[in-house]
Amino acid sequence: MWHSLLALIALCVFIVPTVYAQELGTSSVDFPYTGNRTAVWVVAQLHILFAAFILGAPIFVVIAEWLGYRKQDPRYDRMAREITKVTVILFSMTAVTGGLFIFVLLAAYPQFTTWFINQFYVVFAILYPALFIVETILMYAYLYTWDVWKGEKKGRHIALGIVLNLVCLLILFVINGPTSFMNTPPKAEGISPQDFLAAATLWDKIANQSWFPLSLHRIDGNIAFSGFIAGMIAAYMYMGSKTQEERAYYDWMGFVAIWIAVGGSLLQPFTGLLLAYEMCEYDFSFCPYMMADQLSMFFEVQGMMIGLLFLAINYYSWLSVRRIEGAEKVRMTILAPIVLVVVLPVTMWVMNTYWIPDPRSLAFLLPLVLSPFLLGRVVPMTVSARTVIKIGFIVMLVSDAVWLTPSGFMATGSDMPDELKLPEGWDFLASMPTKLSAIIVLVFVTVVNYVLYNRTIKQGTILWGKIDFVAQFVLIFLAFTSTWIMGLMGAVRSLVKKYFHVYGLVSDFTVESFTPTLSYSAWWISGITVSFLVIVTLAALVALRPSVSKVREPEVGPVPVGAK
Amino acid sequence: MFKKFGIALLVGGAVVAFARSQEVPSDFQLLWAIIALIGAMVFMLLDAKPLATMSGGKSFLAVAAFWILIVTVCIAGASLLPQSDPEDERGKISKLLEKQRATSQQGKADELIARAKALDEQVKALENRLKGLGGSQVATAIPSPAGDKSPAATSGGGGAAGDVMKVGEEQWQLQECYNCHKLRGEGGKKRGPELDNIGSLLTVEEIQQKIMDPKSFMAEGYDKEWTKGIMPNKFKDLMDPKEMLALATWLGSFKNTSINTPKPIKKN
Repeated sequence: MWHSLLALIALCVFIVPTVYAQELGTSSVDFPYTGNRTAVWVVAQLHILFAAFILGAPIFVVIAEWLGYRKQDPRYDRMAREITKVTVILFSMTAVTGGLFIFVLLAAYPQFTTWFINQFYVVFAILYPALFIVETILMYAYLYTWDVWKGEKKGRHIALGIVLNLVCLLILFVINGPTSFMNTPPKAEGISPQDFLAAATLWDKIANQSWFPLSLHRIDGNIAFSGFIAGMIAAYMYMGSKTQEERAYYDWMGFVAIWIAVGGSLLQPFTGLLLAYEMCEYDFSFCPYMMADQLSMFFEVQGMMIGLLFLAINYYSWLSVRRIEGAEKVRMTILAPIVLVVVLPVTMWVMNTYWIPDPRSLAFLLPLVLSPFLLGRVVPMTVSARTVIKIGFIVMLVSDAVWLTPSGFMATGSDMPDELKLPEGWDFLASMPTKLSAIIVLVFVTVVNYVLYNRTIKQGTILWGKIDFVAQFVLIFLAFTSTWIMGLMGAVRSLVKKYFHVYGLVSDFTVESFTPTLSYSAWWISGITVSFLVIVTLAALVALRPSVSKVREPEVGPVPVGAK
Repeated sequence: MFKKFGIALLVGGAVVAFARSQEVPSDFQLLWAIIALIGAMVFMLLDAKPLATMSGGKSFLAVAAFWILIVTVCIAGASLLPQSDPEDERGKISKLLEKQRATSQQGKADELIARAKALDEQVKALENRLKGLGGSQVATAIPSPAGDKSPAATSGGGGAAGDVMKVGEEQWQLQECYNCHKLRGEGGKKRGPELDNIGSLLTVEEIQQKIMDPKSFMAEGYDKEWTKGIMPNKFKDLMDPKEMLALATWLGSFKNTSINTPKPIKKN
């Protein structure tokens, strides 16, 4: 119950400074070493990472529990339970960092924070704490009813998990109201932002232009993120396993976690694009600021990291195929490599000609990407699975090169000399349609590899626990990369407000109101990432290590090495 | 392994040679060459021998080393890319917020705090000096506390009344109009029309009206952009009437007929 106590303390920390700040007036605390903005940044980002995990993990866990129930496979149930144990510990960390976040925010920006809390008083004082308490109760109930509601009562336990997820989703939507409000406060033509805000209801403030896309982006992001973190936990446990049986289980867990994460990751670029689209619709000056000005090189790094993430996902898939006995005999229609080779140039042409929302782009692309799956049986020629995967890697590398090509190597667009710009005739490489094409191709290659993998496991036998040891480093790398990208995009979402606390409404008059350099940001993002992952690692060791040393739990049967 | 590295060098070399023949800047050539090398590494990994299972301390050390490696690569990668100059942006922001700051509660409070801090420093400096002199000498030259930041020195816009054109050009930079409009051969991404001949097509009042209400005029051929409202309707909140007039006057002075600035069409 010490977790609940911590959560309670965090809530007190949340409420007390609120009252205190009202009396403080305008004076603020000067945080040493970091400065005020970086102090808020670090704590906020840490809180968001923990929150993302505890909101994403229940989705992951219930899916796993349901799969286990449906397939009558105890491994899913064990994984779901282990991740829930880690989630409960990290739940306390979320509460602690949340309390700390409010404390730092009030200390650093007392006037703004007081104003902000007043704008969302019902959210901060009633809705959010109430939902958080309900979530806490449900989370503990979910964990402690695991053994009680099993067998025939399993459905009841899954239903409780679904209720927990609904509350988690509600929390996400509620708290995204104030978050997105800072970027896109409601406005109307012909009325000053201040006048509009004075007449706006709470719902107007919550349901601002970027609220829904941000929430969508965070939902699939949280699923992907919790999957990658679960993969990292599996990797550590695999490394620490003493028996082949344990290794087989954690190899399987890493594999399942990554594929759930990939499911979320495949949607990420598109919901991210939707968010960017809505923000640019709100105020077009966001767009050049992100793509051509101060934040352009941040997006260059994002491209690098996502490119590496997809390469690593597919490398893990390759390693998974290699441990399947009989994989060398698996073949695929020759249409697959042909489509892989032509998909990038065709998509680039289609996207540059029929840009979104023109439906003609789909009319061209859908038949192309579906042809290997629909026409594969008609075309008799085949190639080996290994060849298809290797061609896929070449296509991914070319797509990465396209994605990473900026319009010019300069941090700010205003002073871009011609010698650093892409020459005329090549500038299509830097256009948004081309970037989207590269992302579509990365997703397509990953889907092809997934289909291939499924075909391979149907024809061969998986040797669980026999995966190349390097796969565990790939799992750690994926967790690191996804956390780092979240840190980077968190910074971008906040920086895009430029010199405002709330865009166009409340200016930030402090000396720290400017875009930090990419290098400075990278140091802090790396620090936050490492801190978060170290805490998660410790939480996993605390939650799971004793169960390894004990005699195996009776409900989990030994995993046959050759099981599917 | 060497074969794959050789292939990567060949592919990278061919890409670089082609890019060079097309006069693509060297930074892009370098980027593509690095990706070719990453490709070589990927293919080396694909066919590499399986890594032996590690356990205990060995795997702990390997994980720690791996973490150090990826953190270093992330920081180094981000630091090697071009960096923006915060001072440059700071200057712009302080000019943009100057008036707002002076009138805001926080601005007044900040000023008071700054003055209090300056006084405090002055007192400390005096104390130190007196202590150093053993109280026998009177401090003769006390450094001015934050003295180099007098309002006159920082205002920048002091001569605005006398130089409308200068203020207009400054607003062009501050409001970052160059992000969408090309002028004097600089800036613009085809999101907005090139403006070198705008003075021949619109009066100063009309330019001012367009800035204040972006829907009032539509540049010929920019129907999509006009319909979507690409030009933000926020400049009336960001500039005062004098600044807007200065910007319009400055833009109105551009009458370069050799540039094909699209014809503005009155809308409402």
